[in-house]
Amino acid sequence: MTTTAPELRIFDYDTYAQGDPTTFGLPLEQYRHLRDEEPCFLQEFDDPMLIDRAWVVSRNEDIWEVDRNTELYAADRGYVNIWQVVPIDPKNGGLPAMLTTDGPRHREQRQVLAKAFTPGMVRKLEGKFRKYAKDVVDDALEKGTFNFVHTIAHNMPMEALGDVLGVPQEDRAKFFGWVDKFAAPFDTRITASFDEVMEAIGNLMVYSEELAELKRANPADDVMSRLVASGEGGNPLMSADEIVGNVALLASGAAESTRTAMSHGMHELMRNEKAMAWMRTHQDNLPPTVIQEMVRIASPFTHLVRTATRDHELHGKQIKEGDIVAMLFAAGNFDERAFDRPDEFQPDRIENPHVSFGRGAHKCLGQHVAALEMKILFEELFQRTSSIEPAGPISYVRDAYSRGVYELPVTITPA
Amino acid sequence: MKITVDTDLCEVHGDCVVAAPDIFDIGEDDDVVQILNAEPGEEYRKAIVQAVKMCPVAAIRIEG
Repeated sequence: MTTTAPELRIFDYDTYAQGDPTTFGLPLEQYRHLRDEEPCFLQEFDDPMLIDRAWVVSRNEDIWEVDRNTELYAADRGYVNIWQVVPIDPKNGGLPAMLTTDGPRHREQRQVLAKAFTPGMVRKLEGKFRKYAKDVVDDALEKGTFNFVHTIAHNMPMEALGDVLGVPQEDRAKFFGWVDKFAAPFDTRITASFDEVMEAIGNLMVYSEELAELKRANPADDVMSRLVASGEGGNPLMSADEIVGNVALLASGAAESTRTAMSHGMHELMRNEKAMAWMRTHQDNLPPTVIQEMVRIASPFTHLVRTATRDHELHGKQIKEGDIVAMLFAAGNFDERAFDRPDEFQPDRIENPHVSFGRGAHKCLGQHVAALEMKILFEELFQRTSSIEPAGPISYVRDAYSRGVYELPVTITPA
Repeated sequence: MKITVDTDLCEVHGDCVVAAPDIFDIGEDDDVVQILNAEPGEEYRKAIVQAVKMCPVAAIRIEG
Protein backbone atom coordinates (compact mmCIF):
# COMPACT_ATOMS: atom_id res chain seq x y z
CA MET A 1 0.00 0.00 0.00
CA THR A 2 1.37 3.42 -0.81
CA THR A 3 0.42 6.50 1.09
CA THR A 4 0.31 9.97 -0.40
CA ALA A 5 3.43 11.88 0.50
CA PRO A 6 2.78 15.07 2.45
CA GLU A 7 4.00 18.28 0.88
CA LEU A 8 7.44 18.84 2.33
CA ARG A 9 7.91 22.30 3.80
CA ILE A 10 10.28 21.52 6.64
CA PHE A 11 12.26 24.75 6.32
CA ASP A 12 9.39 27.19 5.75
CA TYR A 13 8.92 29.81 8.46
CA ASP A 14 5.17 29.43 8.27
CA THR A 15 5.28 25.67 8.85
CA TYR A 16 6.45 26.53 12.36
CA ALA A 17 4.58 29.82 12.79
CA GLN A 18 1.33 27.97 12.08
CA GLY A 19 2.34 24.76 13.79
CA ASP A 20 -0.28 22.38 15.14
CA PRO A 21 -0.41 22.69 18.95
CA THR A 22 -1.54 19.05 19.21
CA THR A 23 1.73 17.84 17.64
CA PHE A 24 4.09 20.03 19.69
CA GLY A 25 3.89 22.65 16.93
CA LEU A 26 5.95 20.40 14.68
CA PRO A 27 5.22 18.95 11.21
CA LEU A 28 5.47 15.39 12.52
CA GLU A 29 3.88 13.86 9.38
CA GLN A 30 6.47 15.48 7.13
CA TYR A 31 9.24 14.31 9.45
CA ARG A 32 7.90 10.76 9.42
CA HIS A 33 7.79 10.75 5.63
CA LEU A 34 11.41 11.91 5.50
CA ARG A 35 12.62 9.29 7.97
CA ASP A 36 10.72 6.44 6.28
CA GLU A 37 10.96 7.33 2.60
CA GLU A 38 13.76 9.85 2.12
CA PRO A 39 16.25 9.50 4.98
CA CYS A 40 18.80 11.49 2.96
CA PHE A 41 16.73 14.18 1.32
CA LEU A 42 18.03 16.94 -0.96
CA GLN A 43 16.44 20.25 0.02
CA GLU A 44 16.86 23.05 -2.51
CA PHE A 45 16.46 26.66 -1.40
CA ASP A 46 15.60 29.69 -3.48
CA ASP A 47 16.20 32.60 -1.14
CA PRO A 48 19.17 34.99 -1.06
CA MET A 49 19.18 34.81 2.76
CA LEU A 50 19.66 31.03 2.71
CA ILE A 51 22.21 28.52 1.47
CA ASP A 52 21.57 26.89 -1.94
CA ARG A 53 20.91 23.31 -0.91
CA ALA A 54 21.45 20.75 1.82
CA TRP A 55 21.19 17.00 2.28
CA VAL A 56 18.80 16.50 5.18
CA VAL A 57 19.26 13.58 7.58
CA SER A 58 16.27 12.95 9.83
CA ARG A 59 16.73 9.57 11.52
CA ASN A 60 17.97 9.62 15.10
CA GLU A 61 20.82 7.21 14.43
CA ASP A 62 22.02 9.14 11.38
CA ILE A 63 22.06 12.41 13.31
CA TRP A 64 24.19 10.77 16.02
CA GLU A 65 26.54 9.54 13.30
CA VAL A 66 26.86 12.88 11.48
CA ASP A 67 27.32 14.80 14.73
CA ARG A 68 30.01 12.43 16.02
CA ASN A 69 31.96 11.95 12.82
CA THR A 70 33.72 15.30 12.64
CA GLU A 71 36.32 13.86 10.27
CA LEU A 72 33.66 13.20 7.58
CA TYR A 73 31.22 15.97 8.57
CA ALA A 74 33.17 19.12 9.37
CA ALA A 75 31.95 22.16 11.29
CA ASP A 76 34.85 24.40 10.18
CA ARG A 77 34.10 24.72 6.47
CA GLY A 78 31.44 27.40 6.66
CA TYR A 79 27.78 27.65 7.69
CA VAL A 80 26.05 26.80 10.97
CA ASN A 81 22.45 26.45 9.86
CA ILE A 82 20.58 27.11 6.61
CA TRP A 83 21.24 30.85 6.86
CA GLN A 84 23.71 32.36 4.44
CA VAL A 85 25.17 34.60 7.16
CA VAL A 86 25.79 33.93 10.83
CA PRO A 87 28.05 36.09 13.01
CA ILE A 88 30.25 33.17 14.11
CA ASP A 89 31.12 31.83 10.66
CA PRO A 90 34.63 33.06 9.78
CA LYS A 91 34.29 31.58 6.27
CA ASN A 92 31.48 34.03 5.54
CA GLY A 93 32.58 37.24 7.18
CA GLY A 94 31.91 36.31 10.81
CA LEU A 95 34.23 35.79 13.77
CA PRO A 96 35.71 32.43 14.81
CA ALA A 97 33.98 30.51 17.61
CA MET A 98 33.91 26.95 18.91
CA LEU A 99 30.92 25.85 16.86
CA THR A 100 32.73 26.65 13.62
CA THR A 101 36.05 25.04 14.63
CA ASP A 102 37.10 21.39 14.65
CA GLY A 103 39.91 19.19 15.93
CA PRO A 104 42.63 20.31 18.37
CA ARG A 105 41.71 23.99 18.00
CA HIS A 106 38.15 23.23 18.99
CA ARG A 107 39.28 21.17 21.96
CA GLU A 108 41.63 23.91 23.21
CA GLN A 109 38.87 26.51 23.15
CA ARG A 110 36.28 24.17 24.53
CA GLN A 111 38.41 23.21 27.52
CA VAL A 112 38.82 26.84 28.56
CA LEU A 113 35.07 27.28 28.64
CA ALA A 114 33.91 23.80 29.56
CA LYS A 115 35.36 24.01 33.06
CA ALA A 116 32.78 26.67 33.86
CA PHE A 117 29.95 24.43 32.67
CA THR A 118 30.64 21.07 34.31
CA PRO A 119 27.91 19.51 36.45
CA GLY A 120 29.87 20.41 39.60
CA MET A 121 30.37 24.05 38.65
CA VAL A 122 26.75 24.34 37.60
CA ARG A 123 25.56 23.08 40.99
CA LYS A 124 27.16 26.16 42.53
CA LEU A 125 24.63 28.30 40.66
CA GLU A 126 21.67 26.66 42.35
CA GLY A 127 21.25 29.26 45.12
CA LYS A 128 21.20 32.12 42.63
CA PHE A 129 18.77 30.28 40.37
CA ARG A 130 16.40 29.62 43.29
CA LYS A 131 16.32 33.33 44.00
CA TYR A 132 15.57 34.20 40.36
CA ALA A 133 12.85 31.57 40.31
CA LYS A 134 11.31 32.96 43.47
CA ASP A 135 11.27 36.51 42.06
CA VAL A 136 9.79 35.32 38.78
CA VAL A 137 7.02 33.37 40.50
CA ASP A 138 6.32 36.28 42.90
CA ASP A 139 5.74 38.48 39.86
CA ALA A 140 3.61 35.85 38.13
CA LEU A 141 1.40 35.32 41.20
CA GLU A 142 0.83 39.05 41.37
CA LYS A 143 -0.31 39.09 37.73
CA GLY A 144 -2.44 35.96 37.90
CA THR A 145 -2.94 35.83 34.13
CA PHE A 146 0.02 36.51 31.83
CA ASN A 147 2.12 35.43 28.87
CA PHE A 148 4.24 32.57 30.24
CA VAL A 149 6.98 33.25 27.69
CA HIS A 150 7.64 36.79 28.92
CA THR A 151 6.72 36.59 32.58
CA ILE A 152 8.25 33.23 33.48
CA ALA A 153 10.47 31.77 30.79
CA HIS A 154 12.31 34.87 29.65
CA ASN A 155 13.94 36.28 32.74
CA MET A 156 15.81 33.39 34.31
CA PRO A 157 17.82 32.17 31.31
CA MET A 158 18.80 35.76 30.63
CA GLU A 159 19.96 36.39 34.20
CA ALA A 160 21.74 33.02 34.18
CA LEU A 161 23.58 34.03 31.01
CA GLY A 162 24.46 37.36 32.65
CA ASP A 163 25.79 35.56 35.73
CA VAL A 164 27.79 32.94 33.87
CA LEU A 165 29.32 35.49 31.55
CA GLY A 166 29.83 38.11 34.27
CA VAL A 167 27.72 40.97 32.86
CA PRO A 168 27.41 43.77 35.46
CA GLN A 169 23.86 44.45 36.70
CA GLU A 170 23.73 47.93 35.21
CA ASP A 171 24.45 46.58 31.69
CA ARG A 172 21.99 43.71 31.73
CA ALA A 173 18.94 45.47 30.32
CA LYS A 174 20.71 46.57 27.14
CA PHE A 175 22.60 43.27 26.89
CA PHE A 176 19.35 41.27 27.11
CA GLY A 177 17.79 43.58 24.51
CA TRP A 178 20.48 42.70 21.96
CA VAL A 179 20.30 38.99 22.72
CA ASP A 180 16.52 39.03 22.21
CA LYS A 181 16.92 40.68 18.81
CA PHE A 182 18.89 37.93 17.21
CA ALA A 183 16.63 35.21 18.46
CA ALA A 184 14.11 35.70 15.66
CA PRO A 185 15.60 37.49 12.66
CA PHE A 186 12.69 36.67 10.34
CA ASP A 187 9.73 37.42 12.62
CA THR A 188 8.80 41.05 11.98
CA ARG A 189 6.84 41.20 15.24
CA ILE A 190 10.18 40.81 17.04
CA THR A 191 12.65 42.39 14.63
CA ALA A 192 11.39 44.78 11.96
CA SER A 193 14.23 43.96 9.57
CA PHE A 194 17.32 41.81 9.23
CA ASP A 195 19.38 44.99 9.52
CA GLU A 196 18.12 45.34 13.08
CA VAL A 197 19.42 41.86 13.81
CA MET A 198 22.84 42.66 12.42
CA GLU A 199 22.90 45.91 14.38
CA ALA A 200 22.11 44.07 17.61
CA ILE A 201 24.88 41.58 16.92
CA GLY A 202 27.27 44.44 16.16
CA ASN A 203 26.36 46.14 19.43
CA LEU A 204 26.82 42.91 21.34
CA MET A 205 30.24 42.43 19.82
CA VAL A 206 31.38 45.96 20.63
CA TYR A 207 30.09 45.48 24.17
CA SER A 208 31.95 42.15 24.45
CA GLU A 209 35.21 44.00 23.86
CA GLU A 210 34.31 46.50 26.59
CA LEU A 211 33.43 43.68 28.94
CA ALA A 212 36.73 41.97 28.14
CA GLU A 213 38.57 45.17 29.11
CA LEU A 214 36.61 45.34 32.35
CA LYS A 215 37.49 41.74 33.24
CA ARG A 216 41.15 42.25 32.38
CA ALA A 217 41.23 44.99 34.98
CA ASN A 218 38.96 43.20 37.48
CA PRO A 219 38.99 39.43 36.97
CA ALA A 220 36.16 37.56 38.67
CA ASP A 221 34.83 34.03 38.80
CA ASP A 222 33.02 34.13 35.46
CA VAL A 223 33.36 32.97 31.88
CA MET A 224 34.46 36.31 30.49
CA SER A 225 37.37 36.37 32.92
CA ARG A 226 38.33 32.86 31.77
CA LEU A 227 38.21 33.89 28.13
CA VAL A 228 40.32 36.96 28.77
CA ALA A 229 42.89 35.07 30.83
CA SER A 230 43.23 32.59 27.96
CA GLY A 231 43.99 35.48 25.62
CA GLU A 232 46.89 36.82 27.66
CA GLY A 233 50.49 35.95 28.37
CA GLY A 234 53.30 35.12 25.98
CA ASN A 235 51.28 32.52 24.17
CA PRO A 236 47.62 33.51 24.29
CA LEU A 237 45.21 30.69 23.63
CA MET A 238 42.42 32.85 22.23
CA SER A 239 42.63 35.85 19.97
CA ALA A 240 40.52 38.96 20.53
CA ASP A 241 38.27 37.82 17.67
CA GLU A 242 37.81 34.37 19.18
CA ILE A 243 36.85 35.89 22.52
CA VAL A 244 34.16 38.05 20.91
CA GLY A 245 33.00 35.22 18.64
CA ASN A 246 32.59 32.87 21.56
CA VAL A 247 30.62 35.45 23.54
CA ALA A 248 28.26 35.80 20.56
CA LEU A 249 27.96 32.01 20.43
CA LEU A 250 27.16 31.76 24.14
CA ALA A 251 24.62 34.57 23.92
CA SER A 252 22.84 33.04 20.95
CA GLY A 253 22.82 29.55 22.44
CA ALA A 254 21.90 30.32 26.02
CA ALA A 255 18.84 32.35 26.61
CA GLU A 256 16.32 31.82 23.89
CA SER A 257 16.72 28.03 23.66
CA THR A 258 16.01 27.56 27.37
CA ARG A 259 13.02 29.91 27.21
CA THR A 260 11.74 27.90 24.25
CA ALA A 261 12.13 24.57 26.02
CA MET A 262 10.32 25.83 29.13
CA SER A 263 7.45 27.27 27.09
CA HIS A 264 6.86 24.17 24.95
CA GLY A 265 7.14 22.07 28.10
CA MET A 266 4.54 24.17 29.94
CA HIS A 267 2.19 24.07 26.98
CA GLU A 268 2.38 20.29 26.80
CA LEU A 269 1.69 19.92 30.53
CA MET A 270 -1.49 22.00 30.19
CA ARG A 271 -2.66 19.77 27.32
CA ASN A 272 -1.78 16.55 29.06
CA GLU A 273 -3.67 15.83 32.26
CA LYS A 274 -1.63 12.76 33.10
CA ALA A 275 1.68 14.60 32.77
CA MET A 276 0.35 17.52 34.81
CA ALA A 277 -0.68 15.14 37.61
CA TRP A 278 2.77 13.51 37.43
CA MET A 279 4.38 16.95 37.86
CA ARG A 280 2.25 17.61 40.92
CA THR A 281 3.38 14.29 42.43
CA HIS A 282 7.04 15.11 41.79
CA GLN A 283 7.06 18.87 42.31
CA ASP A 284 9.33 18.84 45.37
CA ASN A 285 12.18 17.25 43.45
CA LEU A 286 11.71 16.95 39.69
CA PRO A 287 13.61 14.01 38.20
CA PRO A 288 15.87 14.72 35.21
CA THR A 289 13.65 12.56 32.98
CA VAL A 290 10.93 15.19 32.70
CA ILE A 291 13.41 17.95 31.90
CA GLN A 292 15.04 15.91 29.14
CA GLU A 293 11.59 15.03 27.79
CA MET A 294 10.70 18.71 27.59
CA VAL A 295 13.95 19.38 25.76
CA ARG A 296 13.14 16.54 23.34
CA ILE A 297 9.63 17.70 22.38
CA ALA A 298 10.71 21.34 22.30
CA SER A 299 13.61 20.71 19.89
CA PRO A 300 14.59 24.38 20.40
CA PHE A 301 16.83 24.45 17.33
CA THR A 302 15.35 22.44 14.47
CA HIS A 303 18.69 21.77 12.81
CA LEU A 304 22.40 22.53 12.44
CA VAL A 305 24.57 21.80 9.42
CA ARG A 306 27.98 20.31 8.64
CA THR A 307 30.03 20.05 5.44
CA ALA A 308 31.06 16.73 3.86
CA THR A 309 34.86 16.44 3.71
CA ARG A 310 34.88 13.82 0.93
CA ASP A 311 32.61 12.10 -1.57
CA HIS A 312 30.56 9.32 0.00
CA GLU A 313 27.24 7.55 -0.22
CA LEU A 314 24.41 7.79 2.31
CA HIS A 315 21.12 5.92 1.90
CA GLY A 316 21.87 5.53 -1.80
CA LYS A 317 22.54 9.24 -2.35
CA GLN A 318 25.90 10.48 -3.65
CA ILE A 319 27.15 13.18 -1.28
CA LYS A 320 30.05 15.15 -2.72
CA GLU A 321 32.90 16.82 -0.88
CA GLY A 322 31.77 20.34 0.04
CA ASP A 323 28.06 19.44 0.12
CA ILE A 324 26.15 20.67 3.15
CA VAL A 325 24.49 18.07 5.37
CA ALA A 326 21.71 19.25 7.70
CA MET A 327 20.93 17.34 10.88
CA LEU A 328 17.19 17.78 11.34
CA PHE A 329 17.19 17.39 15.14
CA ALA A 330 13.46 17.95 15.44
CA ALA A 331 12.78 14.94 13.19
CA GLY A 332 15.37 12.77 14.96
CA ASN A 333 13.59 13.44 18.26
CA PHE A 334 10.42 11.66 17.05
CA ASP A 335 11.98 8.60 15.42
CA GLU A 336 10.24 5.38 16.50
CA ARG A 337 13.46 3.52 15.68
CA ALA A 338 14.95 5.22 18.75
CA PHE A 339 12.00 6.00 21.02
CA ASP A 340 9.08 4.09 22.47
CA ARG A 341 5.92 5.95 21.34
CA PRO A 342 7.81 9.13 20.39
CA ASP A 343 4.65 11.15 19.74
CA GLU A 344 3.75 10.91 23.43
CA PHE A 345 5.13 13.16 26.15
CA GLN A 346 6.38 10.78 28.85
CA PRO A 347 7.73 12.62 31.91
CA ASP A 348 9.39 9.45 33.22
CA ARG A 349 11.00 8.41 29.91
CA ILE A 350 14.24 6.64 30.80
CA GLU A 351 15.60 5.79 27.32
CA ASN A 352 15.74 9.23 25.76
CA PRO A 353 18.47 9.57 23.11
CA HIS A 354 17.16 12.96 21.98
CA VAL A 355 19.39 15.15 19.84
CA SER A 356 18.24 18.60 20.95
CA PHE A 357 21.63 19.32 22.54
CA GLY A 358 23.53 17.56 19.75
CA ARG A 359 25.51 14.38 20.45
CA GLY A 360 29.09 14.98 19.36
CA ALA A 361 32.06 17.19 20.11
CA HIS A 362 29.91 20.28 19.60
CA LYS A 363 27.29 19.18 22.10
CA CYS A 364 25.58 22.06 23.88
CA LEU A 365 28.02 23.61 26.35
CA GLY A 366 25.16 24.87 28.49
CA GLN A 367 23.19 21.63 28.73
CA HIS A 368 23.73 21.23 32.49
CA VAL A 369 22.91 24.90 33.13
CA ALA A 370 19.71 24.66 31.10
CA ALA A 371 18.60 21.49 32.88
CA LEU A 372 19.16 23.07 36.30
CA GLU A 373 17.33 26.28 35.37
CA MET A 374 14.34 24.31 34.15
CA LYS A 375 14.25 22.04 37.17
CA ILE A 376 14.37 24.91 39.65
CA LEU A 377 11.89 27.10 37.83
CA PHE A 378 9.27 24.38 37.44
CA GLU A 379 9.72 23.26 41.06
CA GLU A 380 9.17 26.81 42.31
CA LEU A 381 6.20 27.36 40.01
CA PHE A 382 4.47 24.11 40.91
CA GLN A 383 5.15 24.30 44.64
CA ARG A 384 3.59 27.75 44.86
CA THR A 385 0.52 27.19 42.69
CA SER A 386 -2.48 24.91 43.02
CA SER A 387 -3.36 25.12 39.34
CA ILE A 388 -1.91 26.31 36.05
CA GLU A 389 -4.48 26.69 33.27
CA PRO A 390 -4.40 27.92 29.69
CA ALA A 391 -5.83 31.43 29.22
CA GLY A 392 -5.75 31.39 25.42
CA PRO A 393 -4.11 29.59 22.51
CA ILE A 394 -0.38 29.19 22.05
CA SER A 395 1.28 31.00 19.14
CA TYR A 396 4.70 30.37 17.70
CA VAL A 397 7.57 32.53 16.47
CA ARG A 398 7.89 32.66 12.68
CA ASP A 399 11.19 30.88 12.17
CA ALA A 400 12.41 27.57 10.78
CA TYR A 401 15.62 27.39 12.81
CA SER A 402 14.68 28.45 16.32
CA ARG A 403 11.38 27.17 17.62
CA GLY A 404 10.41 30.08 19.79
CA VAL A 405 7.01 30.41 21.42
CA TYR A 406 5.54 33.88 20.82
CA GLU A 407 2.70 33.74 23.29
CA LEU A 408 1.47 31.23 25.87
CA PRO A 409 -1.33 32.79 27.93
CA VAL A 410 -1.77 31.12 31.34
CA THR A 411 -3.69 31.68 34.55
CA ILE A 412 -2.24 30.49 37.84
CA THR A 413 -3.87 30.03 41.23
CA PRO A 414 -1.73 30.37 44.38
CA ALA A 415 -1.15 27.23 46.46
CA MET B 1 35.69 -4.63 34.69
CA LYS B 2 38.23 -1.88 34.13
CA ILE B 3 37.46 1.69 33.09
CA THR B 4 39.81 3.88 31.06
CA VAL B 5 39.47 7.36 29.58
CA ASP B 6 41.40 8.63 26.58
CA THR B 7 42.53 11.96 27.99
CA ASP B 8 43.54 13.20 24.52
CA LEU B 9 39.89 13.09 23.54
CA CYS B 10 38.11 14.21 26.74
CA GLU B 11 36.62 17.72 26.52
CA VAL B 12 34.88 17.63 29.94
CA HIS B 13 31.37 17.59 28.50
CA GLY B 14 30.24 16.02 31.77
CA ASP B 15 27.77 13.51 30.33
CA CYS B 16 29.58 10.64 32.10
CA VAL B 17 29.31 12.45 35.44
CA VAL B 18 25.55 12.67 34.95
CA ALA B 19 25.28 9.01 33.88
CA ALA B 20 27.61 7.51 36.53
CA PRO B 21 28.39 10.04 39.29
CA ASP B 22 29.97 7.38 41.53
CA ILE B 23 32.56 6.58 38.88
CA PHE B 24 33.38 9.88 37.17
CA ASP B 25 34.02 13.37 38.47
CA ILE B 26 35.26 16.68 37.09
CA GLY B 27 36.77 18.99 39.68
CA GLU B 28 37.02 22.72 39.38
CA ASP B 29 40.46 22.80 37.77
CA ASP B 30 40.38 19.51 35.92
CA ASP B 31 41.13 19.62 32.20
CA VAL B 32 39.94 16.04 31.85
CA VAL B 33 37.56 13.80 33.74
CA GLN B 34 38.79 11.96 36.84
CA ILE B 35 37.97 8.30 37.39
CA LEU B 36 36.92 7.82 41.01
CA ASN B 37 36.80 4.06 40.78
CA ALA B 38 38.63 2.41 37.88
CA GLU B 39 37.62 -1.15 38.78
CA PRO B 40 34.04 -0.91 40.00
CA GLY B 41 31.71 -3.78 40.84
CA GLU B 42 29.15 -5.26 38.43
CA GLU B 43 26.36 -3.18 39.98
CA TYR B 44 27.77 -0.13 38.18
CA ARG B 45 27.89 -1.69 34.72
CA LYS B 46 24.57 -0.32 33.52
CA ALA B 47 25.45 3.26 34.48
CA ILE B 48 28.92 2.97 32.95
CA VAL B 49 27.59 1.54 29.68
CA GLN B 50 25.30 4.56 29.58
CA ALA B 51 28.28 6.87 30.20
CA VAL B 52 30.18 5.23 27.32
CA LYS B 53 27.19 5.70 25.03
CA MET B 54 26.61 9.30 26.07
CA CYS B 55 30.23 10.53 25.82
CA PRO B 56 30.15 12.98 22.89
CA VAL B 57 33.77 12.26 21.97
CA ALA B 58 33.78 8.48 22.64
CA ALA B 59 36.62 8.75 25.15
CA ILE B 60 35.55 6.03 27.63
CA ARG B 61 36.44 2.33 27.38
CA ILE B 62 35.27 -0.66 29.42
CA GLU B 63 37.48 -3.75 29.56
CA GLY B 64 36.00 -6.98 30.83
